Amino acid sequence: MSIFIHLRLMRRLDWSLVIATLGLLIIGIAFIFSAGYGNPSPAAQQLYLRQLCWVGLGLLFFLWFAIVDYHRWLRLAWWLYALGVILLVLVFVPHIGLKVYGAWRWLQIGGFRILQPAELMKLALIVLLARLFGLPGRNVRRRRLVLSGLALTLLPMALVIKQPDLGTALVFVPVLAGIMWAAGVPGKRLAILAVLALVMAGGILALVALPPKLGMNESDHERLLRRIGFSPYQRERLMVFLDTKRDPLGAGWNKAQSRIAVGSGRLTGKGYLQGTQNLLGFLPRTVAPNDFIFAVIAEEKGFVGCVVTLVLYGVLLLALLRAAEEATDRMGCLLCIGVAAMFFCHVFINIAMTIGLLPITGIPLPLISYGGTFMLGTFVALGLAQSVYIRGEWR
Amino acid sequence: MTSTNLALFELRRLLLLKMIILAALGTLIVALLFIQLGHGAYYESSREQQSLRRVRIPAVRGKIYDRRGVCLADNVPDYGVALYLEEFRLTRKRQNTAEVISQAIQQVAAVIGQGPKIDQQQIKSHLASRRALPLVAWHNADERTIARLMETGARLKGVDILVEAERVYPHGAALAHLLGYVEIAATQSEDDELFHYYLSDLTGKTGIEKQFDELLAGRAGGRLLQVDVTGFKHAETALRESVPGSDLKLAIDLRIQQVAEQVLSDTAGAVVVVDPRNGDVLAMASAPGYDPNWFCSTITTENWTKLTADSRKPLFNRALSGLYAPGSTFKPVVALAALEQGVDRHLTLNCPGYFELGNQQFACYQGKSHGQTDFRRAIRVSCNVFFYQAALKCRLDGLYQMALACGLGQKTGISLPGESAGFLPSRAWKRRTLGEAWRDGDTCNLAIGQGPIQVTPLQMAMLTAAIANGGTLYQPRVVLATRRAGLLQRKPDELEFQEIPPVVIRRIHFSQEHLELVRNGLRDVIQDEEGTGRLARLSGLVMAGKTGTAEYGRKGAGQQHAWMLLFAPFDEPRYAVAIVLDDAISGGISAGPRLRALMQEIFALEGSG
Repeated sequence: MSIFIHLRLMRRLDWSLVIATLGLLIIGIAFIFSAGYGNPSPAAQQLYLRQLCWVGLGLLFFLWFAIVDYHRWLRLAWWLYALGVILLVLVFVPHIGLKVYGAWRWLQIGGFRILQPAELMKLALIVLLARLFGLPGRNVRRRRLVLSGLALTLLPMALVIKQPDLGTALVFVPVLAGIMWAAGVPGKRLAILAVLALVMAGGILALVALPPKLGMNESDHERLLRRIGFSPYQRERLMVFLDTKRDPLGAGWNKAQSRIAVGSGRLTGKGYLQGTQNLLGFLPRTVAPNDFIFAVIAEEKGFVGCVVTLVLYGVLLLALLRAAEEATDRMGCLLCIGVAAMFFCHVFINIAMTIGLLPITGIPLPLISYGGTFMLGTFVALGLAQSVYIRGEWR
Repeated sequence: MTSTNLALFELRRLLLLKMIILAALGTLIVALLFIQLGHGAYYESSREQQSLRRVRIPAVRGKIYDRRGVCLADNVPDYGVALYLEEFRLTRKRQNTAEVISQAIQQVAAVIGQGPKIDQQQIKSHLASRRALPLVAWHNADERTIARLMETGARLKGVDILVEAERVYPHGAALAHLLGYVEIAATQSEDDELFHYYLSDLTGKTGIEKQFDELLAGRAGGRLLQVDVTGFKHAETALRESVPGSDLKLAIDLRIQQVAEQVLSDTAGAVVVVDPRNGDVLAMASAPGYDPNWFCSTITTENWTKLTADSRKPLFNRALSGLYAPGSTFKPVVALAALEQGVDRHLTLNCPGYFELGNQQFACYQGKSHGQTDFRRAIRVSCNVFFYQAALKCRLDGLYQMALACGLGQKTGISLPGESAGFLPSRAWKRRTLGEAWRDGDTCNLAIGQGPIQVTPLQMAMLTAAIANGGTLYQPRVVLATRRAGLLQRKPDELEFQEIPPVVIRRIHFSQEHLELVRNGLRDVIQDEEGTGRLARLSGLVMAGKTGTAEYGRKGAGQQHAWMLLFAPFDEPRYAVAIVLDDAISGGISAGPRLRALMQEIFALEGSG
């Protein structure tokens, strides 16, 4: 491909998506700076510089993935998926995986964090599911197809839950659901799956939460859960997920402080670099630049800042769905749907958690939260969607 | 506008997705509207929440007991004199507060008759970073100090006694090497930044304290302190209890340990006593030793220099890290290897006091001539000449394999840090490192446990145990049981100890007939008038053993390690012992009487229950 064709393709980018993305990136850098502003550690103060590097690299990834024909990745779908699963398994191997805050999430080389395989897995799964349900001539009404899609999703999901990273694992479900829905899997079949999922999730939660309330002895309960395969630690995590009051110094603290930060922002906020929750470290400094960055925005820029952010996300999500509509083939359409579903999940769960609507779980805010692997993953996903859009049948 | 590729039906599905997304984002906006505009005033004025600080509370470290329940490592309260700073917050400026506090400290100093242990700078930094926490001005206050303070306590505002946990080893230097010691953890662990104030834990630096640090340490808890506008403590609101560390019960019998340490007294060396029936380590002593209590608060420079400058290395655990040539104590292994390789068990050789190999002459011990010697007598009198020839009769590989099977040249797997593997020379090793072929002379050296071969006292004790129990090589068991406080049951005292079962490394492959022959030889060593270990003999008790004297250092310098292995009672062994002395005359003369004293005490203890 010559440069000329590249430029012509570039002209066909969806500029509403590009502008919304740049807007969110600016917000992100600005508030990562703010989150590090009150931190005495020089490394934390310069987090925004590192994020700038990631953004630069990410933009290159975005352009590259937008220019390259997305069919190339669809052809490699099974290999990418296999690679993702292997890396997810390697995470648990000492000296290759790295344990941070009690969870195996990182691959390391000599103590340096290299990659979070779960991020790669999300992308690989989207590409594979798009191919699985979108190949020409596939009959999406067949039960076998639906079941294999389900199995392919559950395998990496189980590995991610094992890390344990419940938040990231939760993103896999809507990706599958979105792709199956858009592919035209009959509503009845989807409804059955949804009911099954709810029953299972409810069953697990009930087993963890109910017996003590029904008067079961705590040590008997612990033995029961051990038999099912829950360690006391995992049980505790789930209990805290349901009821943050159980951990007043950990998740409970984050939740309460985040809510105060958001609430005290009021209409226009306390002003940039003036949020007391943020600067004085009430909003814990380990989570402020990443999972709780929205609380910093809400405190310092208030309702207005929140709405601007949400509108930008809305524009971006609609652009992704537009790319799905314009796709020349079904695989491209499903690819965009998968990306949109993942993106939406991250945005919704993160913000809902920050403002106290959902239980606390560690899941970052795309394009805004600090984090290298996640930033690159997001850009690759957006690039894929643009690759579909550029080759779409518009005009 | 719309693509022809997508059916109308699918476009309808996409439209629904679009609507879901917009509805969700709308929900978030409405929620924000309620929180930020509806309740904004409430959150803004939420001063109460703003004033919380998190304080980490270290967990109580688990205790360590001996097999009979005697406490070996305990926690005792350490009384400190503390100033509760919130009581001194009279003036606005930090500088002035520091002055007031320093004056108060002078007042207290006058009362208790001890100068203050902290300076102005420490007061200031405490005020700057930890002002909601009490400032400890004196650690380790004794009873008299406390009594004086109590008398005048009412007059001194904001001064009180603060209790902190301190690790103590009630039996002092006994078991120092095995237990190890703890120090105050220098850095925060991975839960850093979760806490505004960090009270640090103790971490194990060596021995059991290090190996089982995670179990012993438990899990830290935390506390929420409510502070007032100026940052001083106001009230305590929430508490997450710490999970106490697990208790350990060791296989060690403190009484035997103490006897073992007495037997060594100040001679550099090591003694290991194990139970051949299960591999329990009943005693493990290394001399010279040190007092682990020295490390408990902070070790004084004087003590530290004393420990590190001593050429005899008191911090070094000879029992499992010390490497020694086994000398003649290796001969039972040679005998077993030769017998298993088909060397005639009735083999009888003449010992003229030397053995000629080519133009080299290998002497018997001190050039003594033993005359006609068979396997049993060769062990009894420790005849080198017999073993040179017995070793030459069997393949080197067979000898190497037998030594390996007996656990030499590899770690025993004891759950203690710093174990040495020892070393077994082989043909391949010699070619690789020295570029020379293995010679018969090397085999002769190996036959009497000399040359490059190296073993640890622990390995030799386990080997003795295997010979005593009929050929089962156990992994040495140091920790007999653990008592673990769970997430739900937090009081370890109410729980049962859970036993850690003994681990068999392997059954050593040899016929019982051959083992019997070697065991009889070993019995003669002590019970026979001619035996080299007869000085260890006790009346009314049949024991078996093997002495050894190994040269080390420059050839002919006369530096010798004295060894002795022993197991008793002969018919149903309950004890297997290995002793080594760094500098001594010989195994029989130096080690024999010490083991006699040790075994006498051990069996006396058994009688007393």
